[in-house]
Amino acid sequence: MALDTSIPVLVVDDYKTMIRIIRNLLKQLGFEDVDEAADGTEALGKMKERRYGLVISDWNMEPMTGYELLKQVRSDSSLSKTPFIMVTAESKTENVIAAKKAGVNNYIVKPFNAPTLKSKIEAVFGD
Amino acid sequence: MSDMSSEHVAKIIDFLRNGRKAEDVSLEDVMRLAELMAESFQSFFKTMDLAIYAELGEMAREIACMKEELALLRLSDMRDEHIPTAGRELDAIVEATEEATNTIMSAAEEIMSADVADVDAYQALVGEKVIDIFQACSFQDITGQRISKVVSTLNALDKRITTLVEKLKIMRINDVAGDETPAEKRARELMLHGPQFKGEGVSQDDIDAFF
Repeated sequence: MALDTSIPVLVVDDYKTMIRIIRNLLKQLGFEDVDEAADGTEALGKMKERRYGLVISDWNMEPMTGYELLKQVRSDSSLSKTPFIMVTAESKTENVIAAKKAGVNNYIVKPFNAPTLKSKIEAVFGD
Repeated sequence: MSDMSSEHVAKIIDFLRNGRKAEDVSLEDVMRLAELMAESFQSFFKTMDLAIYAELGEMAREIACMKEELALLRLSDMRDEHIPTAGRELDAIVEATEEATNTIMSAAEEIMSADVADVDAYQALVGEKVIDIFQACSFQDITGQRISKVVSTLNALDKRITTLVEKLKIMRINDVAGDETPAEKRARELMLHGPQFKGEGVSQDDIDAFF
């Protein structure tokens, strides 16, 4: 089954450069409808206004981290089914386990490339 | 000293045992009691004086010695010159890497969005943007030099702090972060975490297997 690239994607990162990189990688994969947020709080606000098909979030952000965003999303019945990929430079085992327990769909360690991002998105959607 | 104390204490006890009621106590009685108390303490402090004086003298010598040691460490140079310079170097590194990244990404975005139908124009654009990318990559040379300077400062700071700790025999205090605000704690934790070094943490393959 081909990847549905028409879904709206929300990229959450406090580094504009990283957002730009992910946006370009997504564009290369065919995703054109990409929104962005600078931290968990902004992302949560946007998610309440619009239904996203995928959230790709950094972990380390102020004031709300990606991990806290994930927990908020999973505890909100209207958002809990949203596919969520964590993208972070931290690859500590306890973080991976915590994210998995909190309900993350996949976890990507920075730096990464387009094929890695593609394979993780495909894995999330079961392709 | 103990004989003198016993004698004076006995006097005070006698004074108190005279059965004076509160209304009978005159100002003279109070003065007498104060005198007796003073006499008893005086004999005690007489013996203490020399010991305290010697101790204070020793402490003054230690403080003077410590001040000399601190002066030799030239910590003010670190505070006034080296650390602010290192901060400026790091700011410049952040600025240079950000500028280079933006230049490279802009060039790549222009190539990505260029019209490939006009081959000559496309080739010219790609050639021009590739040169921009090469030029932007020259930031690595300058930032490398700046980072080396910061590392030197950190090494010097480490050496001086270690010397200071050894000289002052400072004990490790675990709870120094007692007055830390939640925001400071979070900033410190973020600083302590951050990107993993090569070979530390788990690999993407391990994570994939876990998922």
